[in-house]
Amino acid sequence: MARSLPLYARLSRSLVVAAAVALSASAAFAQDVIKFGAPLPLTGPLAPEAIKQQQGYDLWAEQVNKAGGISVGGKKYKVEIVYSDYQSNTPRAVQATEQMITQDGVNFMFSPFGSGAAKAASSLSERYKMPTIASTASSPQVYDQGYKYLFGTFTPNDTLTTPLTKIVKAKAPNVKKVAILARNDLFPLAIAQEMEKSAKANGLDVVYFEKYAIGTLDHSATLSQIKSLAPQWIFVTGYINDLLLVRKQMSDQEIKADVVSMIAGPAYQEFIDAAGPSGENISSAAWWHPAAKYDGKDIFGTTANYVKLFREKYKSDPDYAQASASVSGALFQMAIEKAGTLDKEKVRDALAATDVMTFWGPVRFGPTGQINSLEPPVFQLQGGKAIVLSPDIIKQGEFKLGVN
Amino acid sequence: MFAAQILINALVLGCLYACIAIGFSLVWGVLNVINLIHGSFIVLGAYLAWSLYQGFHVSPWYALVIAAPLFFVFGYVIQRIVLNRVITAPVLVTLTMTFGLDLILNNAMIYYFKADYRKLTLKPPMGSVSIFDVVVPVDRLVATIAALALTGILYLILRRLRVGRAIVAVRLDRDAAVLMGVDVNAIYAIAFGLGTALAGCAGVLMALIFPISPLTSTAYLGKAFVVCVLGGLGSVSGALAGGVLLALIEGVGSAMFGPAHATTLSFVLLIVFLILRPQGLLGRKGFE
Repeated sequence: MARSLPLYARLSRSLVVAAAVALSASAAFAQDVIKFGAPLPLTGPLAPEAIKQQQGYDLWAEQVNKAGGISVGGKKYKVEIVYSDYQSNTPRAVQATEQMITQDGVNFMFSPFGSGAAKAASSLSERYKMPTIASTASSPQVYDQGYKYLFGTFTPNDTLTTPLTKIVKAKAPNVKKVAILARNDLFPLAIAQEMEKSAKANGLDVVYFEKYAIGTLDHSATLSQIKSLAPQWIFVTGYINDLLLVRKQMSDQEIKADVVSMIAGPAYQEFIDAAGPSGENISSAAWWHPAAKYDGKDIFGTTANYVKLFREKYKSDPDYAQASASVSGALFQMAIEKAGTLDKEKVRDALAATDVMTFWGPVRFGPTGQINSLEPPVFQLQGGKAIVLSPDIIKQGEFKLGVN
Repeated sequence: MFAAQILINALVLGCLYACIAIGFSLVWGVLNVINLIHGSFIVLGAYLAWSLYQGFHVSPWYALVIAAPLFFVFGYVIQRIVLNRVITAPVLVTLTMTFGLDLILNNAMIYYFKADYRKLTLKPPMGSVSIFDVVVPVDRLVATIAALALTGILYLILRRLRVGRAIVAVRLDRDAAVLMGVDVNAIYAIAFGLGTALAGCAGVLMALIFPISPLTSTAYLGKAFVVCVLGGLGSVSGALAGGVLLALIEGVGSAMFGPAHATTLSFVLLIVFLILRPQGLLGRKGFE
């Protein structure tokens, strides 16, 4: 740290001393605890996402500890999640990760939030041979670095748009023209671009593809233009506020279409409540949905049980972000129990060999470490409820046409 | 028909923008305070309308009548107790003060209402009217009329009432107004109260149109800022002209160059105005 200021050096040295004192004080019972590091953007613009992650990890830790802990070679270990706030600042996420590995003595790591930060921190996991699960990174670029210690629970973005297109193609033969409107932001834009590819691959005509700026207060001009093109499928990406506004302005301008899809709003109860009747027949896709029905071998068991436990603790329904955090913990637990040791190398191998059904869905990791067994559910809002349309093993209803 | 639709969209949106901006413009023009709480006042007004509708089935039109006096008192008290203490300080001090107050109000709303997005959905919905294939949503139309009415009322207050003339007098020349026996502190508080009441009413109207969350306050504040610079500070008709101009640029720009560039265009326009016509469309030189 030759570049550090003297003050910073002194400060960090005293912090190390303090940490060492704290560590030795807790050493008496430290061997009965497995520590998981979770650097999260608990403050700053990403804070709402971080809180979801935290809820997911906490629920898992609570359930494990309630059941006595993780058994390793006949001995039970309690779970402790070590959080660190990196203030929505990616370089700090990397620092926090390094500090957790080298100073806080965590046994295993969860990645920081999103594809960007997870990728930035992944080189540390590799350097320190630290098994790490990324619970919110979907970009294949995070995993194709040839790293051995990084695993992820999100499939690539195209796995959301491809099944959606297939259903529309099969059930709505009248759909020829697609209009795509995307929030000019990392994830919403990436999804829209995948949608464009998958529409073209299926012989649909993409008549409109535009981005709107973050914080747009009015979509009337854009929607008038879309209306004049008369597409049968309108596909909009953005977050809850954007999508509510677009939906409202679509009704205002009396825009109708056979199919209206929105990502990521309808995955959240908040959107369903706020959209009310105007949400009817809007289709969407997400990595997971509480309406899914999997019978898992993990600590949570069935999806329904996971939703029940989550509701009891937080008085709200989980969405895919919280569920992904919980399943990441559960996957670590199963890998550790299978390995029968806390040895990082062996747990890594057990993770790589994972082939199990969970409340999240079937989990197997591909050669890059990214999950490749999961078929993200396509769902549609029908009668104020999200109804799963695919994959077949959790299907609840049929696709309905017409959004007015 | 498409062009007519774009124009109508822009006119209606422009009046909403004016509605958002007018209280902000009044406060900036009269008190020389860049009121950063303005956006949060609007959101608070929206929550008031939402709560009254959800909890007591009070229609937003009645909520307007409740919001106006409530917000006036709220603004009056804030000005009397807090802002009047720093009103003579340089503009940066009052800016920092309103920034701090905004943090408090906004975080209090996040704490109390949560950051979830809500929507005030009228039952039954008001629908739209179409004339020759040009569609205008009724709620926006009514909000536009209400916005014009509020603007008219403010104009009448400033022109006809004694207190209004006093506000204009303080705005034109504070020291001369003091010499004429105007209680400047009271006038400041009344002007701030009026600005807050307008923000509250704007919030009630916006609740019908936009999703409600404390996080949207900066978007409102940003629009108010641009509208004021375009239209001219402290002038009632300026806010209207600025709002319509901004909406036109955004609407036409979005149709011609794509929605991603609408915001860029409006800020380019802002810079052009700051360079070529810093007093705004209808502002008078010397009061910018």
